[in-house]
Amino acid sequence: MAIKLDRRTVLRGIGGTVLALPLLEAMTGRKTARSANPTIPKRYILCFGGQSLGADNDPIHNMYVPTTIGANYDLKVALAPLANHNNIKNEITVVSGLKIPTAYDNGGVIPAGGRADDFHINSLSPLLSGTSTSDGRIHGPTSDQLVADAIGSGTTFKSLVYRVQASWYLDQSAPYGRDVISYRMNGSTLTGIPSTVSPRAAFDSLFVGFTPVDPAEAARREFMLRQRKSVLDLVSAKTEKLLPKLGTSDRQRVQRHLDEVRDLERRISAIAPDGGGACQLLGDPGQDPAVGGNQTVNGGTGFDVNAGYSNEEARATMLVDLLHMAITCDLTRVGTLQFTMAQSHMNMYPLIGIPYDLHEIGHSSHGTMGVSQGIAWHMKHFARLVAKFRDTPEDIGTMLDNTVIVMVHEGGHGYDPSAAKTYSSHCTENMACLIAGRVGGLKPGRHVVAAGMHPANVLITAMNAVGVSTNTLGQVNGTIPALTS
Amino acid sequence: MRDIRWPRACLVLALVACGNDSVPRISVGPTGARRLSRNEYDNTLRDLLLDESRSGFVKLPEDVLDPFDNDFTTQQPSGILVEAAETLAFEASARLMADPAKRDQVIGCTPTGAGDTDCLRSFVATFGRRALRRPLTTDEIDQYVAFSSMSVEANDFYVGAGMVIAALLQDPEFLYRIERGTPVVGRKGLYKLNDYELGTRLAYFIWGSTPDNDLLDAAEHNALRTPEQLRAAAERLLADPRARARIDRFHAMWLGYYKLPHSPELTASMRTETQKLIERVVFEEGRPWADLFTSTETYIDAQLAQLYGMPTPAGGAGWVTYSGPGNRAGMLSTGAFLSVAGKFGDTSPTQRGKLIRERLMCQTVPPPPPNVNVDQPPQGTTMSTCKVDRYAQHRADGSCYGCHNQMDPVGFGLENFDQTGAWRATDNDDASCVISGEGQLYGLADDPVVFQGPAQLGSILIESGVLENCLVTQLYRFAMGHREQRQDAAMIDALATSFTQSRKLDELMLELVTADAFTYRQEEN
Repeated sequence: MAIKLDRRTVLRGIGGTVLALPLLEAMTGRKTARSANPTIPKRYILCFGGQSLGADNDPIHNMYVPTTIGANYDLKVALAPLANHNNIKNEITVVSGLKIPTAYDNGGVIPAGGRADDFHINSLSPLLSGTSTSDGRIHGPTSDQLVADAIGSGTTFKSLVYRVQASWYLDQSAPYGRDVISYRMNGSTLTGIPSTVSPRAAFDSLFVGFTPVDPAEAARREFMLRQRKSVLDLVSAKTEKLLPKLGTSDRQRVQRHLDEVRDLERRISAIAPDGGGACQLLGDPGQDPAVGGNQTVNGGTGFDVNAGYSNEEARATMLVDLLHMAITCDLTRVGTLQFTMAQSHMNMYPLIGIPYDLHEIGHSSHGTMGVSQGIAWHMKHFARLVAKFRDTPEDIGTMLDNTVIVMVHEGGHGYDPSAAKTYSSHCTENMACLIAGRVGGLKPGRHVVAAGMHPANVLITAMNAVGVSTNTLGQVNGTIPALTS
Repeated sequence: MRDIRWPRACLVLALVACGNDSVPRISVGPTGARRLSRNEYDNTLRDLLLDESRSGFVKLPEDVLDPFDNDFTTQQPSGILVEAAETLAFEASARLMADPAKRDQVIGCTPTGAGDTDCLRSFVATFGRRALRRPLTTDEIDQYVAFSSMSVEANDFYVGAGMVIAALLQDPEFLYRIERGTPVVGRKGLYKLNDYELGTRLAYFIWGSTPDNDLLDAAEHNALRTPEQLRAAAERLLADPRARARIDRFHAMWLGYYKLPHSPELTASMRTETQKLIERVVFEEGRPWADLFTSTETYIDAQLAQLYGMPTPAGGAGWVTYSGPGNRAGMLSTGAFLSVAGKFGDTSPTQRGKLIRERLMCQTVPPPPPNVNVDQPPQGTTMSTCKVDRYAQHRADGSCYGCHNQMDPVGFGLENFDQTGAWRATDNDDASCVISGEGQLYGLADDPVVFQGPAQLGSILIESGVLENCLVTQLYRFAMGHREQRQDAAMIDALATSFTQSRKLDELMLELVTADAFTYRQEEN
């Protein structure tokens, strides 16, 4: 980035009043070759849904994978929302035929990039990091954080990790990692990155540097920002002095805390990055929707249709808006959006009228149809996210020309070796995912059958598309050439 | 270490006063810096800033309840923690400044002008000591007083004062209880805590909040050293209403009814019942703690009376003797406890058995093997659809028998009480399935002990000594903020032995805080 624009000089935010694009182009000196402009950043977004594609005892594997192969694919129940936004499916490729292998598939030994036969939590590690697991834990850095390490250092936020589902919602149990899908290497230690769940906090954190039109308000904010910086300066200086007085373990603990304080300092001190024509202060989101109470029941009799829900509909909308704007303003180039936790116990009644939590629908009589309706709720917001990038002009094209957005799901459908069940939601056969965007030569808008490939192969392809040259993710090797040809 | 004023040689002598051995025989499990739980954070803001907003609960990352919310090994620093701490600090500061009466009380002096550094300095010294639970050095005070320049710029004294608060509330020494102490010669990694650190341990254990000025004054005068001094301080804390809330919370997290799956109204009624019972037994009447599990009287309102099949107390709510079906007595008969550990929209005898084994008996039940689908209730191996017959599948299979025989027969002893605690004669979904309500508890002296209902189960657990023993362990975990380790065994054993004599919870807490091990810390690894 040769020329830095102070956002304060460009933006006149509230209400979306934005300066005209040509001025910005003049100021940034952007070239006009579509998709090949090296000054335009590349972006990587990973979305996750905590449910498999089909239900127990239902011979229908899914209502997700189109019958049509190639372009103009048909939309079944799970992907029906991809018809929204003027057929946003034209920007999205469906990848089917994917599979995470199990110990059962491999003579009882967990294969590379595979998982133990028990489904619960065990799909996450191979799915997101390409690394095998048998204890439910993720054992390698995840694709989003590898990309952040490679391309995220120059922006205010190395990556943004958001979660829509506000709480675990189940009594007598805890997420035990099902709420964390981003892991990065911290030296030699693998560290989970907890998600930002509060749209309010996300908003405050992103838009701290934006200056309102009203001069009095602008001055007040500027003064507040200086107070925050002075306070953080003092906190970190004091903490720095404390460190040598501590024993090894406490020193490491406080050092990690201090690292986060420094990161916050850096973020609020950052001069606004390059403005883009569409970079604007979003409307204030107000206070977060209240967090709903817990369930003791997964669904059906005794299920409390008023608990287990925190207006995730509104939260999803807000977080999609925030993530899109953060990337538009080049505050970050890597986003992770976890719609629902793995084995999600979010109450789906307010969203699709089925009185079950998301995971339990897969074990209920609502079958693959019910599961697909649950996925479709995710897709409604995913479609909106992709559409926002498609509809944001950039250079001579749109932001989607420089972005990849992947949507993966916790499982597939088929044989569950741990329960010897033929049709099970606890299965990682017949998996599928979505990949949107044109960055790095990706060719969206098709249904590609990648028979026998691993979901991590899709992620490796996406990583390469944003310039992270790698042939591996964890223990999985290779791209899927059909996605770029 | 500003508070250690004796030459080191004297200190070592003081530590070894008990014998010729030059190294004290203290054994305590390793601990590290403990972050304030959300509850402790909110209590602390209440006590420091008269702030009742309980804002930390909304914004700080959720604590892991395992079963307590303060296990330091589960606490990880993160970006969202640091961001939340910053937001909370400035918001709390702004709330205080918006309320002149509270503000003046907390600031403690009236500024003569925006740039009054004397007033700011006195505030930094007094509030800093409260917030960081130790006196600030002159250097430190100077750093905070430098915020005065912002007051001058804004022509508002309270801008700088607000920044002082915001800085202190983000300080790792505020957010974490960082203990250092003085190294014990000859004992690698063992440290004797200083008086401020001990006062802090006492306050967070007994109040779940920050030490008050009296405790800090005692620390300043080196008057939190001897067991007698610690005992006197702890007795004072126990007489404060904050101790009642803390003990109530301890029981709620331990026994699992911290969050109940009911309407706010029913939840409030149930929580009031258990809270009143604990207050009466522990604080008002000073009875043996075990009476919690045998009390034939309870405090209910109309809602609980209806649930239990009892007449509504005169005046709408009050103490009554249990009546109605099911022979209720004690904590295990309350709606709160019986609402815990449900599954599949009904009671789960397995989950109830597991709860009793793990929480009340301090045993470990291994997790189910990976090839078991625990998302579905057992289907049974016979044509019978009665729950007791369906659950028999758990024990028909040899590999499942071992664990399930520890759990299911215990849970079936409570089966006459549904997942809200109401009495029932038959299965929820099949009136032809009559519930026997008979339970078996394997592994005690009589094997198995046969019982009928929660009152008998409570008595058995008390009479066998297992429950009171387990209380000691659970209280230790809660007090120390981690699961016990092998180095803690001696202290827990000693506490358990003395508890068999006193049998009173407050006495146990006093024993705990005056035990040698409570006054030391062992460095991790």
